[in-house]
Amino acid sequence: MKLSPRLTVLLTALALTACAPQTSSNSSSDKDDTSGTLRVWLFQEVGNKPKEKVVDSVVAAFEKAHDGTKVEVEYIPIDTRAQRVKAAFNDPASAPDVMEYGNTDTAGYVKDGGLLDVTQEFGAWPEAKDTDPTARTSVTVDGKVYGAPFYVGVRALYYRTDVFKELGLQPPRTMTELATTARKIRAAKPELYGLVVGGAYTYGAMPFVWADGGEIATAEGGSYTSAIDSAEAQKGIKAYTSLFSDDNCPAAKCAGFGGNDTVSAFAAGKAGMAIGGDFSHAAVEAGKVKGKYAVVPLPGVASGSIAPAFAGGNNIGVLKSTSHRTLAVQLMEQLASKKTQGALFDVMGFLPTYADVRQQAAEEEPFVKPFVQTLSSGTKFVPASPAWSQIDSSLVLPTMFQEVISGRKSVAAASKDAAKKMNDAFGSAG
Amino acid sequence: MTPMTRRTTWTPWLYLAPALVVLGGLLVYPIYQLGLISLFRYTQAQVSGGEPTAFEGFGNYSVLFGDPQFWQVLLATVVFAAACVVSTLAVGCALAVLLTRVRAVPRLALMLAALGAWATPAVTGSTVWLFLFDPDFGPVNRVLGLGDHSWTYGRWSAFFLVLLEVVWCSFPFVMVTVYAGIRAVPAEVLEAASLDGASQWRIWRSVLAPMLRPILVVVTIQSVIWDFKVFTQIYVMTNGGGIAGQNLVLNVYAYQQAFASSQYGLGSAIGIVMLLILLVVTLGYLRLLRRQGEEL
Amino acid sequence: MNLLRGLVARPWRFAAEASALLIAAVVAFPLYWMVLSAFKPAGEIESSEPRPWTLSPSLDSFRRVFGQQDFGRYFVNSLVVAGSVVIASALVAFLAATAVTRFRFRFRTTLLIMFLVAQMVPVEALTIPMFFQMRDFGLLNSLGSLILPHIAFSLPFAIWMLRGFVKAVPEALEEAAYMDGASRGRFLWQILFPLVFPGLVATSVFSFISAWNDFLFAKSFIISDTSQSTLPMALLVFYKPDEPDWGGVMAASTVMTIPVLVFFVLVQRRLVSGLGGAVKD
Repeated sequence: MKLSPRLTVLLTALALTACAPQTSSNSSSDKDDTSGTLRVWLFQEVGNKPKEKVVDSVVAAFEKAHDGTKVEVEYIPIDTRAQRVKAAFNDPASAPDVMEYGNTDTAGYVKDGGLLDVTQEFGAWPEAKDTDPTARTSVTVDGKVYGAPFYVGVRALYYRTDVFKELGLQPPRTMTELATTARKIRAAKPELYGLVVGGAYTYGAMPFVWADGGEIATAEGGSYTSAIDSAEAQKGIKAYTSLFSDDNCPAAKCAGFGGNDTVSAFAAGKAGMAIGGDFSHAAVEAGKVKGKYAVVPLPGVASGSIAPAFAGGNNIGVLKSTSHRTLAVQLMEQLASKKTQGALFDVMGFLPTYADVRQQAAEEEPFVKPFVQTLSSGTKFVPASPAWSQIDSSLVLPTMFQEVISGRKSVAAASKDAAKKMNDAFGSAG
Repeated sequence: MTPMTRRTTWTPWLYLAPALVVLGGLLVYPIYQLGLISLFRYTQAQVSGGEPTAFEGFGNYSVLFGDPQFWQVLLATVVFAAACVVSTLAVGCALAVLLTRVRAVPRLALMLAALGAWATPAVTGSTVWLFLFDPDFGPVNRVLGLGDHSWTYGRWSAFFLVLLEVVWCSFPFVMVTVYAGIRAVPAEVLEAASLDGASQWRIWRSVLAPMLRPILVVVTIQSVIWDFKVFTQIYVMTNGGGIAGQNLVLNVYAYQQAFASSQYGLGSAIGIVMLLILLVVTLGYLRLLRRQGEEL
Repeated sequence: MNLLRGLVARPWRFAAEASALLIAAVVAFPLYWMVLSAFKPAGEIESSEPRPWTLSPSLDSFRRVFGQQDFGRYFVNSLVVAGSVVIASALVAFLAATAVTRFRFRFRTTLLIMFLVAQMVPVEALTIPMFFQMRDFGLLNSLGSLILPHIAFSLPFAIWMLRGFVKAVPEALEEAAYMDGASRGRFLWQILFPLVFPGLVATSVFSFISAWNDFLFAKSFIISDTSQSTLPMALLVFYKPDEPDWGGVMAASTVMTIPVLVFFVLVQRRLVSGLGGAVKD
């Protein structure tokens, strides 16, 4: 390797003088045109047609209400969203005016300078007052609002009604009962996992940490410090990882599972219980266990309590580079309105972000009741820090769980290492 | 000296011009930028103008070299890539020889199967292999009577599974190329060798291999480059690097630590390190060949 | 061939042919499984009793693939990109390979190494600088932003592979051509080019596959104009993080693999005879 001193000097000199890497200036546009074309990006779901229909009607009404305005909606595949959004931030000419985005991305996109601060408009929007607090948190960074919640996704406990009946079991009412029930199922039916869990299933594991009073990280004056190695969190980690044993879900198989694997196993009739989302409903219905399962909220530590769940979901935001600020914000409000969310729930099953609309949905569709209960008992969100995307993509938490499950490290050691990695990320992302 | 050389010296450059323009503009310049980026704090926030860029010197490199995981991953990558290259070349060459021994129908069958494997997108190939070896849903464990043995839990068995897939999708290139090479070897040469009573292995070692060397050089260098940069197979089959990151290789590590969270500065530093390692390996290999009298 | 056949005693040939068929079956099995999964009805793909057949083949997965908006358009775009890359890189590589094999000049070896270096960098790392280039060229959101980088990435390999073919053409032929008064251009295009053509076909296979299967550039450079999207993007739709649609993935992959297989079958003869040329130097 001939990185000679001369070359080093040369490189340094080059870098120091004129040649900084390219950047784009994504300053907010000053323009606020009241007519023209608005570009909208929404996620493309499998079976996207019903979503398109609802959106089309919103768009038609919007175009009618605003003369001379055209709305172009584009559905982007979820797997390409990261590149597409980055590219949109880099090239304002290609950027949409309004877009849908995953709520864990909020802080990162704000730091990238891509999202428009709509705090004022959101505050003045009458419907916003019914938005539930967690959904509001998911659009808020440093007290400012960067979009409107679009829908939420939350997980609860799926269980096999036929197996429970045969073995004379009741749905568990505490976390401890959850573990004993799981082991009973496995003991009576060794071909089933009791409760199918996954070492890479972060959002299935976090409720255990939260139920014991642990936190991923705590915020202090705008910066985060990891709390994953606190005594409470360690207790939760222990509770979750102890489920990876031959008498419930053998480590050799379950350590590598992600959320999707656990749901597939349950859908294929290989598990007595699973932690699945409202969005997993279709997959389970399509599987072998159709008609043989029910859902209850995941129990907490105290009897009758509900373990805090992670509130996933998507938001609708306006891009800073828009040249139609007023129109774009209005369109965002229309797309995230109670009416639209209600219609989308009916056709796509997306859980509304408004407490009242959600309640109504639960009455129409009994299936979502346990999910709505979970939501209203209080949910948790990931740290609203741009560092989260780094922590998430470098698999800090799955690695921690897997280190414990595979016996490489103790809970204390693994959680301490994870906390260090998280703090490094929080530190460098600011 | 070929006839063309006797004319003007600028002719080769004329022929090279289109290639140089394309490569200079679309590869050399980006690689130069890459080197530059690796010296900066350069994340999505800098790219899109949310924050100013900051010169960090070799900061990204010191972060990288200071991470003990990097060295583990580097070691695993080198060993894994070497295993893949050796297996791919061995399987490819063996099957190429086999192809010369059989009649048209089996030859066509093997050729078509291999071309199919070659044509399959890497993502799909990895997914299918994972399905085949799935402890619950896969047919392989059924056939082998392994019950619900998990292939991805152990570090070595997971690497082995990925190796199988990598060999599956990259041996066809070697096989087809080497087979074509053998067919181009003059028949008299082989005849003479076999009349001397040489064994198959000896014929391969002392007759075919030297004649095929130009092909083998290209095939080996390409395999080294491809296998050192393996990404999709590891990413899909071990679910992003295996249990607690046991199956991480450099490219996946770069993706997780840097690109997925838009830390381009750090990612570029990893890219430059990979480039330098591959360059050293390739140059070393070529020098070795040259010492044996081979010329580029 | 006759010679080789004569070399091996009959029972050995039988064993060789049996193992060739067996290996072909093993190699083809994952492909078979892919096609099978594409035809399996929902719920049977991840079933606890995997069967190597399905009793109720269903076209549902294929229907989802073809039912996608603009699927035909993506297909055509992919063909345009792969086709342009194949043709352009073959021509450029042919000229470059001629230069580095039939001439001696300074920096020749350095250049050859440089051609390799390009392939050593992880592509993800290069997309950022390339993004800015494409933006400055005004190519973002057009097929040009896919064609240019793919040409650049397939050139080095094509040049390396083509060297052997160009070398294999006897120098005597070249001298004879000049004796007859042929110009350099005439020799290049009317004599050398047809002789090297099989080699060009062989190397084209590589550029075709890499351009055809790519989604990284498509994800990064086609931002706001879906009409410029390519086939792999249609495949990505089925990878939903929450519940990937394996039937759809397998069906889309089957659809993607078929054109490449057709291409292979068409060029198979030339591929083998062509690649063989690389050895004759």
